[in-house]
Amino acid sequence: MMKLCQVIVHATLALGVITLAQAESSNANLQYNASRWDPIHFKPAIDSASNEQCLTCHQEIIDRKVLERSPAGLLPEDALAWYQTLDTYEGEQDTFHRRHLMSDYAKEVMDLRCNTCHQGNDPREETANSSANGDTALTQRKHVDPTLCLMCHGQYDAQIMGVPPGDWRETGNLFNFDCLTCHAAIRTHRHQVNFLKPQAIEDAAQSRKDVCFGCHGGRAWYDIPFPYPRHAWPSAGPEIPDWAKNRPTESTARFLATPN
Amino acid sequence: MAMKLDEEKKAKVKLAVKRRKKEVYTPVIPDTQLGFVHNNVDCIGCRACEIACKDKNGLPAGPRFRRVQYVEGGSYPEVYAYKVNISCNHCAKPACLPACPTGAIFKRQKDGIVDIDSTLCIGCRRCEATCPYGAPQYDPEEGIVKKCNLCVDEIDAGRKPYCVMGCMMRVLDLVDINQLRQGVYDTKAIAPHETPVRAVKNFADPTLTNPSIAFIPHSKGKVE
Ligand code: HEC
Ligand code: HEC
Ligand code: HEC
Ligand code: HEC
Ligand code: HEC
Repeated sequence: MMKLCQVIVHATLALGVITLAQAESSNANLQYNASRWDPIHFKPAIDSASNEQCLTCHQEIIDRKVLERSPAGLLPEDALAWYQTLDTYEGEQDTFHRRHLMSDYAKEVMDLRCNTCHQGNDPREETANSSANGDTALTQRKHVDPTLCLMCHGQYDAQIMGVPPGDWRETGNLFNFDCLTCHAAIRTHRHQVNFLKPQAIEDAAQSRKDVCFGCHGGRAWYDIPFPYPRHAWPSAGPEIPDWAKNRPTESTARFLATPN
Repeated sequence: MAMKLDEEKKAKVKLAVKRRKKEVYTPVIPDTQLGFVHNNVDCIGCRACEIACKDKNGLPAGPRFRRVQYVEGGSYPEVYAYKVNISCNHCAKPACLPACPTGAIFKRQKDGIVDIDSTLCIGCRRCEATCPYGAPQYDPEEGIVKKCNLCVDEIDAGRKPYCVMGCMMRVLDLVDINQLRQGVYDTKAIAPHETPVRAVKNFADPTLTNPSIAFIPHSKGKVE
């Protein structure tokens, strides 16, 4: 009798424990799903979100570092990519996010925020366009539209600049590798957007020759140049070259707003 | 055996590399280029290709080399639904490859396959970020990135990749991308009256990397 009692008590206790664990995990599950579908991941809330708000849940974006060694034993400190031979590159191998948000150079010339790049994602397919009422402006299978990256990772457009064709790293010696030879006077209305630090860029370019090239061909992983807006500048002539006929004359509106 | 450099020499090498500084990236131009074709209209979205792929590559929950996307829209009575099915597009000018700092990603001269040796991956996730089509997949358990290699072992054995073999509707196929684009390749994925296109709605701009893929678009998924 005693024994049976104990069994029952144990069973009840065990059951109790199981129910509690189940409740806890379903609660966690609920929280997880509620967070995934948090309005902050969608328009319009994402437009006014601050980095701090995103980081309350996504701190790992900042905390995560590269592995100490690759599975085959390769050490990050033994690797140096071709684009990391620019004179602006400092420090150890780091993650994609940290290079844009945390590196000294990134902080010197840019002021990127989560929502400069992230414009929302659809959790149903972890991407765009999975339902009739989803956000249709998003890119398939991506959280971020790659044409945004193209602004700083496109090809150097030698053709329109009237410089010899080919890579600046080879042809730039004609100009002492200094873009400002021409750009001290040409297209001087530049970088007036909320994710760049225009004055800091000009200052940095005085002492480091790769500053301008870095964002305009030196880290190009895409096959094309970015079609930049063409702002009027003081010494600009009246005629518009053919290649510029369809260009906007102002930066994209969302980059002009003052960020919160 | 390669000589092992001590700390001081290593620093010197790094400085020398920096000073030389004329590092230019030269893309691989393959002899031929393999590429997929997917029929967006006839695909029924069963995801057999996705499962065949996960099986072949032993993938845990999370990373998906191939992904079938359901696109739905319209309002009654004019509703529509179609599928877009993408893995890695083994681009003519891949963005992942030049971004990789360790040389883990490479493109095969023979057939243009873009492969990754994940044992050299340090988990910086640059390839994942630079790829316009969401191909490289981060495996959070191992902290490294993996991706579709077109079942390179199957290719070398003269067969098609698992996703193509698993497709019961025959809407997915793989062959020399030029034959696909010129319409000279006979495949069940393309009906006689259909013409393959380079991109569909919401697919990232194909001029970024020239992806080796062709679609048979749905009327609502056409661009241009
Ligand atoms: C309340 C917590 C919370 C906040 C605040 C939040 N997120 Fe998330 N986010 C989540 C969760 C949970 C997921 C799902 C993660 C997963 O499944 O791996 C997610 C997913 C994502 C993903 C997709 C990840 C993937 O692999 O599918 C992105 C991108 C993202 N969030 C960006 C942001 C940005 C940008 C902000 C700020 C505007 C933000 N999040 C704010 C909780 C949050
Ligand atoms: C320079 C542009 C850029 C900025 C700035 C940026 N991200 Fe991202 N983020 C990306 C890209 C690109 C990816 C990979 C997305 C893909 O492949 O679709 C990504 C992926 C993610 C993911 C999902 C994958 C992961 O790493 O877990 C989360 C979550 C995320 N970002 C959150 C943030 C938060 C929070 C911030 C601000 C602190 C931020 N991002 C800032 C471009 C950016
Ligand atoms: C406003 C300009 C800007 C934008 C937009 C931008 N980047 Fe960058 N990116 C930079 C700069 C500057 C660096 C160099 C940072 C450094 O050296 O510390 C960089 C570095 C990189 C690197 C090399 C990182 C390393 O460790 O050396 C990769 C890869 C990269 N960016 C990818 C992307 C992708 C993908 C996007 C779009 C989601 C993007 N970037 C958007 C400016 C930008
Ligand atoms: C020989 C003079 C010259 C040199 C050297 C030069 N540029 Fe230019 N650049 C031009 C001219 C001319 C234009 C087009 C002006 C116009 O809009 O009519 C131009 C346009 C540009 C544009 C805008 C492109 C567009 O699509 O709107 C960028 C960005 C740029 N240059 C960056 C650079 C960088 C970075 C360097 C150095 C690596 C550089 N330039 C070196 C003359 C030069
Ligand atoms: C951190 C990355 C970065 C650096 C460094 C940088 N640029 Fe830019 N540049 C950009 C971006 C992004 C835009 C587009 C901004 C916009 O949308 O208005 C741009 C636009 C331009 C334009 C087009 C101007 C117009 O009419 O709006 C010119 C010219 C240009 N840059 C030249 C330069 C020169 C010269 C330097 C060096 C002094 C330089 N850039 C340094 C990122 C950079």
